Amino acid sequence: MARTPHHSLAGRQSRVYACACRTGRLALAPALLLPTVASAAYSFNFPEPVTPIARETLHIHNEFMLIITILFVVVFAIMIYSMIKHRKSIGHQPAKFVGPTGALQWFWALIPFAILLFIDFVLMGIPAVQAIINMEDTKTKADMVLKVTGMQWKWQYEYPVSGLKFISTLSTPRDQIANAEAKGEHYLLEVDKPVVLPVGKKVRILLTSTDVIHTWWVPQFGVKRDAIPGFLRETWVLIEKPGIYRGQCAELCGKDHGFMPVVVHAVPEPEYLAWLEAQKAEAKTAAGGADRTWSKDELVAEGKAVYEKVCAACHQPDGKGLPPAFPALAGSKVVNAPLLDMNGKVIKDSHVDRVLHGKAGTAMQAFSASLSDVELAAVITYERNSFGNQMGDMIQPAQIKSLR
Amino acid sequence: MAPAFSDADLARRRNAARRLGWLLGAAVLALYLIGLFIKR
Amino acid sequence: MSTATTHAAEHPAEHYPGGLMRWLTTTNHKDIGTMYLTFSLIMFFVGGLMILAVRAELFQPGLQLMRPEFFNQLIGVHALVMIFAALMPAATGFANWMLPLMIGAPDMALPRLNNWGFWLLPPAAILLTLPFTLALFGIGDGALATGWTFYAPLSVQGGMGVDFAILAVHILGISSIMGSINIIVTIFNMRAPGMTMMKLPLFAWGWLITAFLLIATLPVLAGAVTMLLTDRHFGTHFFDAAGGGDPILFQHLFWFFGHPEVYILLLPVWGLMPHVLSTFSRKPAYGYTAQVYSFIAIGLLSVVVWAHHFFTAGMPIPALVYFMFSTMAISIPLAVLFFCWIATMWKGAMTFETPMLFAVGFIVLFGIAGLTGLILADVAADAQYHHSYFVVAHFHYALFAGGIMGVMTGVYYWLPKWTGHMYSEKLGKLHFWLTVFSFNLTFIPQFFLGLAGMPRRIPDYALQFAEFNAISTLGAFVLGLSQLLFAWNIWCCVRGGPKVESRVWEGAEGLEWELSSPPPHHSWETQPTVK
Repeated sequence: MARTPHHSLAGRQSRVYACACRTGRLALAPALLLPTVASAAYSFNFPEPVTPIARETLHIHNEFMLIITILFVVVFAIMIYSMIKHRKSIGHQPAKFVGPTGALQWFWALIPFAILLFIDFVLMGIPAVQAIINMEDTKTKADMVLKVTGMQWKWQYEYPVSGLKFISTLSTPRDQIANAEAKGEHYLLEVDKPVVLPVGKKVRILLTSTDVIHTWWVPQFGVKRDAIPGFLRETWVLIEKPGIYRGQCAELCGKDHGFMPVVVHAVPEPEYLAWLEAQKAEAKTAAGGADRTWSKDELVAEGKAVYEKVCAACHQPDGKGLPPAFPALAGSKVVNAPLLDMNGKVIKDSHVDRVLHGKAGTAMQAFSASLSDVELAAVITYERNSFGNQMGDMIQPAQIKSLR
Repeated sequence: MAPAFSDADLARRRNAARRLGWLLGAAVLALYLIGLFIKR
Repeated sequence: MSTATTHAAEHPAEHYPGGLMRWLTTTNHKDIGTMYLTFSLIMFFVGGLMILAVRAELFQPGLQLMRPEFFNQLIGVHALVMIFAALMPAATGFANWMLPLMIGAPDMALPRLNNWGFWLLPPAAILLTLPFTLALFGIGDGALATGWTFYAPLSVQGGMGVDFAILAVHILGISSIMGSINIIVTIFNMRAPGMTMMKLPLFAWGWLITAFLLIATLPVLAGAVTMLLTDRHFGTHFFDAAGGGDPILFQHLFWFFGHPEVYILLLPVWGLMPHVLSTFSRKPAYGYTAQVYSFIAIGLLSVVVWAHHFFTAGMPIPALVYFMFSTMAISIPLAVLFFCWIATMWKGAMTFETPMLFAVGFIVLFGIAGLTGLILADVAADAQYHHSYFVVAHFHYALFAGGIMGVMTGVYYWLPKWTGHMYSEKLGKLHFWLTVFSFNLTFIPQFFLGLAGMPRRIPDYALQFAEFNAISTLGAFVLGLSQLLFAWNIWCCVRGGPKVESRVWEGAEGLEWELSSPPPHHSWETQPTVK
């Protein structure tokens, strides 16, 4: 099944670049007042860049920070000088001028603005425009395409050429979030199935969403782009260094916005190709499963796993939901109703209809695109026979397949 | 001491203010209503 | 209507009703100003309590106090309360109290509109926060949980809190528009003879530009949220791609209002600064004309830069370049203002009473907001800053250090004029130093959190963000508690204190200082002379 963790990458777990510590050379001046505690967790600047864009962005950021720090210091040094020298308490007599008089004063009054214009449109402007052109050039010499689909609250990754498609969800245990057990090293930044990309290849990333707006962000890539329902947006990465890179959804997308991380494994190309082949073989096996007849116990066991990964965030592990936004499945009218009509077709607003096609205007999305026939059949069967629901019936993957 | 504004002057000013007020209010309403017909 | 209004203003009802009815029916600009300011102070604490709950949750990793849904409600309602119910009414309160005094008018031009404008506010504030209470009784699922930006389609999906917020925003918008109309017509029609537009106090100029911005942009916000309402309940598809709409259209409409809103909140404060700086430097304001033209330039630029709030949504390269450069262009008129503020202090004879301390604190901290704003305009760097805590820190430097500390400057500056009593300088200075210290303790760590990659609006975070979040929460609680000093100082000053002269401050210039402190119930019974 697609959920199996990929063991060939396990050895790389130790090579973590995610929160490389860099004491900011050019951090804001007041930062120096803070105690500089030597902790690997601290970071005063962007994490270590691993793509050309991220390097360029860090360079631009450092340069701008230098410029604005100089502006800040110069301007307020003048002000503080004045505050010390031109006080009433030391007997300074107030001047009466209300503006520049004479050519020389006008000249000095206009100099700061000439400098600022130069900074804005030349010193900052020119590199900025170059960076924009570079960032938006997703197509030139792109080696491959990755399609990213945001969903409440997980990411789906698709490799269009090889037809591989899977969902990546948070793998941090609930008990860690609820403070019932100690938090792991990558708390909230770990997933069940990371996306794998080859290093040294230009990857064109297409983004969209199935429900609300999400934002795909990996700080070390210097890339952040919105995933918008009904629209396709694009960006690109060229990862220069193998490693595990972690990011998060950056646009408020509802309840579990803080719990949909992005994890990217960057590996050398041969390793990537081997992984791709293995995944394809696995997917083929899983698809074959749709044609055989499953027993109810098999479906319930499989469905429990799917439910806990996909459904439990809203409907809760015990099926009690979080009403009124997220209704309970335990004792639900939708669940405790006939499965299909007498012709084997989907009844409108029935359990099968709701899971396959979602409910417009709510967080209940259509799962027909993101889950496989087996997963859909399993989770429906599980829901009908759990949380005190005793429908006793089941639906086969083959039936789901014929309903599509 | 002369009062701030004569009665007639104050009345004139308040009338002018009221007319301009209605005009601005109409502009706001027009902006709002036109916006509802935005088509992409 | 006209006769009654004119009559009431000309022959002031000396026997106005007492008790509650006095405040419900008043058309006196000072009474209404006082109500605006009181309302604003109360809502400042309401919004503050909300964000302290948020900061408490963020003190440590893990979920300790609340569910993520409730967290999302608090952050959005905090922003709406602070912007619409604390900052904007405070500025309107200043305008009500001070504009007629400053321009030599007997009252605002449209006193009954003024009353109505205020009394729309409390119901709107109740609408905004009511869903919290209803949820306690099991009705609905709480308040607006989309952040103050209402982004579709999240807001289409949301619960009835969104509807309450849409209604509240409509009412708050109507109230602001009525306030703005009143301010514009008062400035245009009620100036004392001899006060030409270029002799108008800078505070009035700042407010005039604010009022025009409100009139130009609030209808757009109202239109956008109305479309949202019809998308939610009446089957339209303005923002639904499946029906031919566009979710990004909402962002364009929202930020067409949202960006000018920043200047709406700041222009009255920028107008106030030269008054305070000139008073305590005992030297006339530098570059009056330059400041007026800067206000106008910022007002005009502010309505053509909106898309820099969503560079990451993706747009064509020419659009990115245009919005980047137009945003950077705002730094020029803004730099003119900074130049004038510092030049006003230059070679003066400065003393540092509480209002002057707040003014100087404002200039320095707002400088950080301006400079970080400049780099946020850069599209490439923005890809890292956007949606992160860097942005949160940036706009709190703009709206707390810029907006709220600016309002505090005004309160300390004018409180003796309003009450006729001097507040406690000792408490005022303590309040200033605690506020500046704890404000920076709260928000400097947030710059680093943003750079390190912490997204905004998350109820729980990865372990590498723990230390800075703990420091930030600590700062936030000190900041919140020190505001009690502010309220206490105001309370004591209203109740009593040393009597002050009509010209409260040694260096104060302007018509408002020629009236007694507190001014008579009816300003300008006699003709003021404009120098």
